[in-house]
Amino acid sequence: MNTVAQEPPASDRRPLRFVAFGIAVIIGISGLSARLFYLQVSQGVQYAQIATQNRTVQQAIPSTRGLIFDRNGRALVRNEPSFAVKIRPVDLPLSQRDAVVARLADLLRMDPADINASIDENPGSRFDLVRIAQDVPRDVADIIAEETLALPGVEVDVETQRQYLDGTLMSQILGYTGAIDAAGLAKLKDQGYLSDDLLGKAGVESTYEAQLRGTYGLETVERDASGRKLQVLETNKQPVAGDSLQLTIDTHEQQLALKALTWAMKTARLKSGVMVVMNPQTGEVLAMVSVPTYDSNKFATGISQKDFQTYAKDPNQPMLNHAINEQYPPGSTYKLVTGLGALSDGRITPTTVIGSHPYILIGATRFWDWNHAGFGPLNIRSGFAHSSDTFFYQVAQRLGITRLAYWAHQLGFGAPTGIDLPGEAAGIVPSDNWKQNTFGQPMFEGETVQAGIGQGYDVATPLQVLNAYCTLANGGRLLKPQIVRQVIGPDGNVVRPFKPILIRKLPTSTSNLVVMREAARQVVTSHHTYNLVELPIPVAGKTGTAQFGVKDAQGRLPFHEWFVAFVSKSGKFAKPDSQLAVIGFAENANTVGNVATEMVKYYLQLHFKLKVDKRLPYLLRKGNFYGN
Amino acid sequence: MGVLRIEPARAQPWSPRSLAVIWRSFDLQLTIYALLLTSIGLAMAYSNSVESGGSLFARDSTFVRGLMWAGLSMLVLAIATAFDYAWLKTLAWPIYFTNLGLLAATLVVGSGVGGTARWIPILGLQFQFSELAKILMIVVLANFLASRQGKLDSIWSILGACMLVAPALVLVMLQPDLGTSLVFVAILGGMLFMSGASLRWLGLLAAAAVPASYVAWTYLLRDYQKARLLSFLDPSQDIQGAGYQLYQSQIAVGSGGLFGKGLTNGTQDSLNFLPVQTTDFVFAKLSEELGFLGAVVVFALFVALIWRILVCAWRSRDPFGLLMASGIASLVLFQVVVNVGMVIGVMPITGIPLPFVTHGGASLISLGLGLGILQSINMHQARAEW
Repeated sequence: MNTVAQEPPASDRRPLRFVAFGIAVIIGISGLSARLFYLQVSQGVQYAQIATQNRTVQQAIPSTRGLIFDRNGRALVRNEPSFAVKIRPVDLPLSQRDAVVARLADLLRMDPADINASIDENPGSRFDLVRIAQDVPRDVADIIAEETLALPGVEVDVETQRQYLDGTLMSQILGYTGAIDAAGLAKLKDQGYLSDDLLGKAGVESTYEAQLRGTYGLETVERDASGRKLQVLETNKQPVAGDSLQLTIDTHEQQLALKALTWAMKTARLKSGVMVVMNPQTGEVLAMVSVPTYDSNKFATGISQKDFQTYAKDPNQPMLNHAINEQYPPGSTYKLVTGLGALSDGRITPTTVIGSHPYILIGATRFWDWNHAGFGPLNIRSGFAHSSDTFFYQVAQRLGITRLAYWAHQLGFGAPTGIDLPGEAAGIVPSDNWKQNTFGQPMFEGETVQAGIGQGYDVATPLQVLNAYCTLANGGRLLKPQIVRQVIGPDGNVVRPFKPILIRKLPTSTSNLVVMREAARQVVTSHHTYNLVELPIPVAGKTGTAQFGVKDAQGRLPFHEWFVAFVSKSGKFAKPDSQLAVIGFAENANTVGNVATEMVKYYLQLHFKLKVDKRLPYLLRKGNFYGN
Repeated sequence: MGVLRIEPARAQPWSPRSLAVIWRSFDLQLTIYALLLTSIGLAMAYSNSVESGGSLFARDSTFVRGLMWAGLSMLVLAIATAFDYAWLKTLAWPIYFTNLGLLAATLVVGSGVGGTARWIPILGLQFQFSELAKILMIVVLANFLASRQGKLDSIWSILGACMLVAPALVLVMLQPDLGTSLVFVAILGGMLFMSGASLRWLGLLAAAAVPASYVAWTYLLRDYQKARLLSFLDPSQDIQGAGYQLYQSQIAVGSGGLFGKGLTNGTQDSLNFLPVQTTDFVFAKLSEELGFLGAVVVFALFVALIWRILVCAWRSRDPFGLLMASGIASLVLFQVVVNVGMVIGVMPITGIPLPFVTHGGASLISLGLGLGILQSINMHQARAEW
């Protein structure tokens, strides 16, 4: 064997380099071990905490939303379990977005544009859920849940949704719940609202949001890296159900009011009108109807863009509660302010006689009576009964604009009544101050006399007018109108009991109020309101016809019609004992007679279950009635 | 001056007696350490399969595939052990060009993640030839440097070795696979060092690497590669992007603590916070579930393995054997340091597997081949005592 040839040359093996390599190994591995020791042993506790936070997330447990009942305990709304489809934008890759949206649109029978709009209007961050659809049928929800892999970022949630049992009957009062928007989330995030939350958006659902919502609970859930909820680890805080509301509204009265209003609107072929019924003694609103209206359920189930646009573009504004959100010239109903103010200030006495004329002259301008012949000499009672414009022009002149404005404010005009519904308009009570601030001029005398008959700059909401007459009817107590009677806790205990809220006591004498009540009764007894007097109930009231807008070819203005009435309990109008006051209002009502009077008459017939029917449909034909 | 050299064939017949001698020189320790490391990798694959909830023995479960690759790898080891390594010297050039051909083919038909070309499908399995290329490059370099015995003080020996590696390195960089090309550099460096090449020239070369890496950084690296390389410095900087893996992997490692959460109990990986948990980031899963102690055991196995490889190098009277073993030792050391360093946040992210532990077919089979060659070297030294 040639062993020599196999012997490696001495230069081949270099022990020092082996040692150096070995040292490199030891240094390398020691370095790794040291770093590992630091991470795992020194910092191990901190990292363990991070790992726990990593896999767990605290998540809100929605509370049960409070219910809403009418004054008799009849449920007006129900909480229904429903499926909602949501998207977490961060988990939806841009490249797949079109395909996912198309598939969802197909499954949900939605317009892809609606889905894209929801994603783009995402109120939260890209990591928060965005609501896409509610009220999804179970089979569709199942399909979407099955297709998780093909629909990245899409989740199906079970949640409760509002169902409004009377559809459109109460929509203006109840409002609706809907998805929170970006502005709302920015405001409410601190109060625990979530990006995909629902909240009350109109009506008492909105004003009583805090009470109805309750308090969300908190749970710790395990999730995976893509945010999917795997299991609930711990409930940190139990949710507390929201309080329920008992409304002052009587469903039956609401139905009657709607029936009367609808009849008048249909017969007169009008689009928009209001009827509100109140108890003057308490300020409780018994019925409040505004047509046209909307369907709360459409909003609660996630309204489509198309339906929403239909509502939004309707010139009659069905989304507004015309009883409180809109303001109109009050017309002759405002003569209460002028008359009561002049009596209280001593500018006239109940027996002061002022001559009414076809018109009065201020400078070179003629201010006409509605009755172009005038009524001859009148006192406050007969002047109010005939609603003589020239009579009240002169009373307004005696009172002056400053005191007129003072008494208007005393009766609740020019400020929101404070009713517990959102978006109430304040109205306008013109005064020198107001006009100076608005137009940079003082009031002219011609404007003052116009203000005295509820024209010109005067505007008010139907509720303000009604509440002013309630104040007359109850003996001078201006009460805050209320629509929620009681707030009831989830355990059934009354959290907030009902009590009338006095805004102010009118600084006038009882006798002045008696005179004005009797004057209002005389409006009816003088047949100014046609055959209303023939109803076997003691009604007093005041009509109004308020011109607005632009003159037509014949020089006539379009006008709104008003009638505000209260029923005496004892039949003696000297007593402030009325428990029922009603206002009817018809917008842009060019009819032969006063539509508002007819609708109030019909409501009273229905309310008192009268056998007689004194309605006069011929008054509701198209024409050009202009009589205060 | 040809680098090709024909070795005289060994005429001696195999006899029962010599077989026994041969078996005695088979380094059982070396194979056992490798097997233990592979088993730990399989345990991780098992844990992954359990956690992902699928059937453990489903055909495509991580565990079953891991078992299959481990079996194949042992077969390759056995065959390479029985094969006389001396033939490798004869076949060095064909091996070299086959290697380049495979890498070029990978570029043409290969597929990968995000527009890269790393894998070639063979029989329905994805095979990464750049893993095999590491071992083949060691063979070629060992042959070249062995042929330069006595001339290793010359700069030309070093430059020649560099020239040999350059084409393969460029082909891998084009895939692009930065990590593997760095492994080539590490192998080259380790083998030159152990070959006895002039330290002066090596030092100069290392100094030259500084401006060279500046040029590479500026002109060769793509933006995502730079982002990955830099993200380890501050993973929180880009937590949703390149830093995410690093951040999650450090949480996994750190939360493992001293004793770990127990096999299959890792939350970071079972909930998928940890990306590529059975391949490049397997060590994160390992240290989450087995803790610091488990990781130290793995380190100890690697140290023992490298020790046995160096023993093989020391024993070899043939410079080829010494160099072959040095190359494999360099490969293992470099990959361990870089892979583990990446997982624990002290090295940039590169797609370098953890030897034996990473569940990856090409890596396991290539290492099986490498160890087989080492065993062949071991046994053929023993035939003539010295």
